[in-house]
Amino acid sequence: MEHSLIVKLKAQTVFSSDQHWLYPLFELEDYLKQSDTIASDLFLSDKIAGKAAACLIVFLGIKKCHIELLSERAIPVFEANGITFTYEHLVDHIQCRTEDLITDKMSISDAYLFLRKRAGRVQGLSVKLENVSVRIDEKLVIDHLHLDLGRGEQLIIHGANGAGKTTLLRTMLGFIPIAEGTIKIGDYLVGSDLWKQNRSIIGYVHQENINNNFPISSGEVVQIGLGKSRISKSETEYRIEVAMRRTGSFHLFKQPYHTLSGGEKQRVSLARCLCQNARVFLLDEPTSFLDQQGKEDLLILLSELSLNEAPSMILVSHDLQWIEQLKWPRKELKGGRLC
Amino acid sequence: MLELLSLTPILKGLIVLAIAGFTFPITGVYLFRLNLLPMRFMLMHGAILGGAMALAFQINPFWTTISVNLLLVLFMAKTSRSMKTDAGQISTFFMVISISLAFIFIYKFNVPAKDTLTLLWGNLFTLSWTEVTGIGLFGVILVGFQYYFRRQLRALFFDREIAFTSGIDESHLYYAVVLLIAITVALAMKLIGALLLDALLLLPPIIASFRSRSLRGMIIGSAIWGGCFAIGGFLLSIAIDIPASSSIAALASVAFIIIYLIRNK
Repeated sequence: MEHSLIVKLKAQTVFSSDQHWLYPLFELEDYLKQSDTIASDLFLSDKIAGKAAACLIVFLGIKKCHIELLSERAIPVFEANGITFTYEHLVDHIQCRTEDLITDKMSISDAYLFLRKRAGRVQGLSVKLENVSVRIDEKLVIDHLHLDLGRGEQLIIHGANGAGKTTLLRTMLGFIPIAEGTIKIGDYLVGSDLWKQNRSIIGYVHQENINNNFPISSGEVVQIGLGKSRISKSETEYRIEVAMRRTGSFHLFKQPYHTLSGGEKQRVSLARCLCQNARVFLLDEPTSFLDQQGKEDLLILLSELSLNEAPSMILVSHDLQWIEQLKWPRKELKGGRLC
Repeated sequence: MLELLSLTPILKGLIVLAIAGFTFPITGVYLFRLNLLPMRFMLMHGAILGGAMALAFQINPFWTTISVNLLLVLFMAKTSRSMKTDAGQISTFFMVISISLAFIFIYKFNVPAKDTLTLLWGNLFTLSWTEVTGIGLFGVILVGFQYYFRRQLRALFFDREIAFTSGIDESHLYYAVVLLIAITVALAMKLIGALLLDALLLLPPIIASFRSRSLRGMIIGSAIWGGCFAIGGFLLSIAIDIPASSSIAALASVAFIIIYLIRNK
């Protein structure tokens, strides 16, 4: 079989793929994550590459490549990032809609995330609220609200205190009954039997209860994410460690949870969501009890999560200064509707 | 003192207290963590209602008390959930209803109030072997439940909402925990009485919580302290001829004060 992508290390083929579109490059990404190979030592040969492929090649850390059919749009990307490249045929552009969607304003990371979402290689699920109304004590708090969040997308919902931000999140979690409308997380209709069996797809980080002094270690908090799944001890330990390392909280493993700072608690809570394998993260006022350093750390952590695991994330906050820095799309909840 | 153990009621008393001492404090931990302390007053009054009913209808007070408490707990949990009201408030309501019903039974069926109120100080030495076996089985169930559901229980006690979103069936787990508490309180009342059951149920978890860093540590610590208080208190009662329930409570209280003082030194 003729391979579309061949990767060599010192003249020896270490990876090949016969997939189409950008999938061979994503497969290469998986290979690089699993092996000790240093990407900059590799030589990549591809059948065809446009601007999208160029961005991915740069993101993966490849430094040398040969492309049979190269789009002119890819050249500035290679040149700007110091890639040594050769080609056999050069064309104005290749017949690929994706290439048109990569704008010059996008950074390599932005382009990578965009391509991952397009390739369906994100952990996140879509979130769809249709005509949702919620009443609390006869008061209409959410009023025929619509929301459509794509897979792996992020959204900040802000608004004044009492606008119903937390109510909205709690409704998505199934804590508050819907008076009207439907909520779908991926293919699961919130409240349905199927959703009840799979509700751990949503990871919830709520406002920290400062009075919770339950004697529990941080590692045990992360383990809660495993729910009632019965897996071996070694697998349990592995999943906890991976999740905690991802959020930079593994050193807190044995520390009593209630002795942690606000920022450390947020890291542990996010690790719990990762351990849970949650595909939608709902974060309720995550900066409530954080100092300046904690806020900055959380900013970095959320950016990293959105780039790597790419869960769909909805964050509610009234901390306008902080959400400004997060650079996620924003909507205001006002009068029970998003605007 | 050892020759007293050859007497069957004394031996049964020691066996039952040892079982209760090592296992009942587990539900004390549950009571604390779910903030269900007001519920235990409801259960105490429920036990008096059960006692009054048993004497009125001349049925076994042991099983009647347990049945009444189970029904009260089910009503409480159901009402609390459907009315979205704090379980503490609902249990206060059921507490009042229980005691009023108990006195109606006492009055209408000419039940000697003194007999009903013996529940307040328990009757450890009147247990049948069936009841001893029943308490033993319950102790095994309690330990088994804690072991099998340890992870889910930890999540439930940490945060019910987080437990729910992690896929844990926290609602049924909560009901199961509340049922176990109900049975424990009913049994503890039978053993050491309503007024002193806290010594067996609550003091061990409080002492254990001073040093525990995990739920596991708290459960094990509570069980050890509970067992020591029960056996130590029982032997002390024989040695200085005082009621077993009083000596258990006194021993637990003295231990609590000493440990508290050491901790705050």
